[in-house]
Amino acid sequence: MSWDSFIWFALSAVSFWVAGALFAWKDRKTGAFMCTLAGIAIFFAFILGMWISMERPPLRTMGETRLWYSFFVPVAGIIVYSRWHYKWILSFSTLLSIVFICVNLLKPEIHSKNLMPALQSPWFAPHVIVYMFSYALLGAATVMALYMLIRKEKTTVKEILITDNLVYVGLAFLTFGMLFGALWAKEAWGTYWTWDPKETWAAATWLCYLVYLHLRKASPKDWQSACYVLIISFICLQICWWGINYLPSARGISVHTY
Amino acid sequence: MWKKPWHIKEGFLIGGGLILLGLLLQVTVGPVDWSFFAWPMNLLVLLLLLVLIGGAYALRQKCYVIEWMMHSGAAVPCLAYAALLTILMGLLPQVQGGGVRWLSQMLQFWPFAIIWTWMMIISALAALNHFLRWKVREIPFLLNHLGVVIAIVSATLGNADTQTLELTAYKGEPEWRAFDENRMMHEPGLAIELHNFIMETYPDNTPKRFASDISVYTEDGKDIRATVEVNKPLKVNGWKIYQYSYDVRLGADSPYSVFELVRDPWITWVYLGIFMMLLGAVCLMLFMAPKPVKV
Repeated sequence: MSWDSFIWFALSAVSFWVAGALFAWKDRKTGAFMCTLAGIAIFFAFILGMWISMERPPLRTMGETRLWYSFFVPVAGIIVYSRWHYKWILSFSTLLSIVFICVNLLKPEIHSKNLMPALQSPWFAPHVIVYMFSYALLGAATVMALYMLIRKEKTTVKEILITDNLVYVGLAFLTFGMLFGALWAKEAWGTYWTWDPKETWAAATWLCYLVYLHLRKASPKDWQSACYVLIISFICLQICWWGINYLPSARGISVHTY
Repeated sequence: MWKKPWHIKEGFLIGGGLILLGLLLQVTVGPVDWSFFAWPMNLLVLLLLLVLIGGAYALRQKCYVIEWMMHSGAAVPCLAYAALLTILMGLLPQVQGGGVRWLSQMLQFWPFAIIWTWMMIISALAALNHFLRWKVREIPFLLNHLGVVIAIVSATLGNADTQTLELTAYKGEPEWRAFDENRMMHEPGLAIELHNFIMETYPDNTPKRFASDISVYTEDGKDIRATVEVNKPLKVNGWKIYQYSYDVRLGADSPYSVFELVRDPWITWVYLGIFMMLLGAVCLMLFMAPKPVKV
């Protein structure tokens, strides 16, 4: 499998996801499930093909992490849909996935087969994959927060509950990603935490989501402040993921440069 | 304000007070000196902390602030301050060395240390409170709050006891001298003899794998033959031996191999904390997330 065939896999997966989103709008659940799952299967087949042909997990470059993100966003979408039957969630996940697919088509950033020794570890795949899944869930939570802040009084208890659930599961995966990283770092470098700029931002992001969790417990009625906290948290998360490459404080220092 | 029950606002004021206290310390005694916590001082501080937390818990009904500290309302401002300081640390380039550094040496900045300590005390008190009202459904809460305290407190207090040495072994010459970051010599109680340096490269000559075939001889008479490579350290007598470097000019023909020797006596506790946090995260999504309402 080569990168050249990405556009064909992406087009067919996106067509299925769009169809699934339309079915969801019309409240035809079977169609929504079948189409979305078919799209996910096609997209995963491409990732698997890349994995086999590159002889390493496609997780090393920024473009490759975006590939997983475009895969996990519909996965998160279908999980939320199956649990809450929320009509527009599949449209949102499809749209977000398309954005990342387009970025990848315009700026592939897929490199050679080479994987430097430090990345050859059983921790590599779980560390990045759980992070990408968490980013997808927390992205969905952010959209919910924006939606709720725009609609203000029309916000329902169900919407608040969906947001809470997305954050709980997203934060759990964020914690997995961070701790897998610590365990891996201990095996690779002898230290589990060095306050490398990426680690600093990961800690900041994690703390922000903890603020959300505790704020929801402390003042359940003040969901609007909690929504603002979610937006700030997601900004931190974006800085941690890719924004850090543009920060003068992190340039050239971080071991997480890719 | 200050009318009971206290909530988040009071927490922001108390946190602000703690930051002021930190600034005062920064001005008077200078940046935090973490080497102060070397053994046995860290044990002493840990015991003091435990007594403090136990004592505070016993006095919770006499002293309202302790009662309040165990609620999520106290956690919010504390976490917010910690997040803010950590964000500042991420935004401002962090530098080493002396001089007046403040925010650009966040790890030695008193307000940062005090807010994190405050966070640990709050979390420990909340955990203790849940532990003593023992119920099975409290386990997720306990795993998360106690796990994070065990991991962070033992990582912080144990930091000064961590030894990191560099040992350069030439082929066929057992080497027992190792050097710390200040180029001071140490004898870690073991010798490493390099038999063979193995290097594989990709077609474009970037490194694919580098490894060292070595023998380790210890003072207590062990003789271990092993291959050490990146991501695959070797554990001997409390030391972990990591493949660190080699003669990059000569590559596969490097006559020596550089190892990093790390000893971290507190690591078991850090792992225990991390393990509890991992279980806690599983509980977070399975049991702690608010239940969906029936549609």
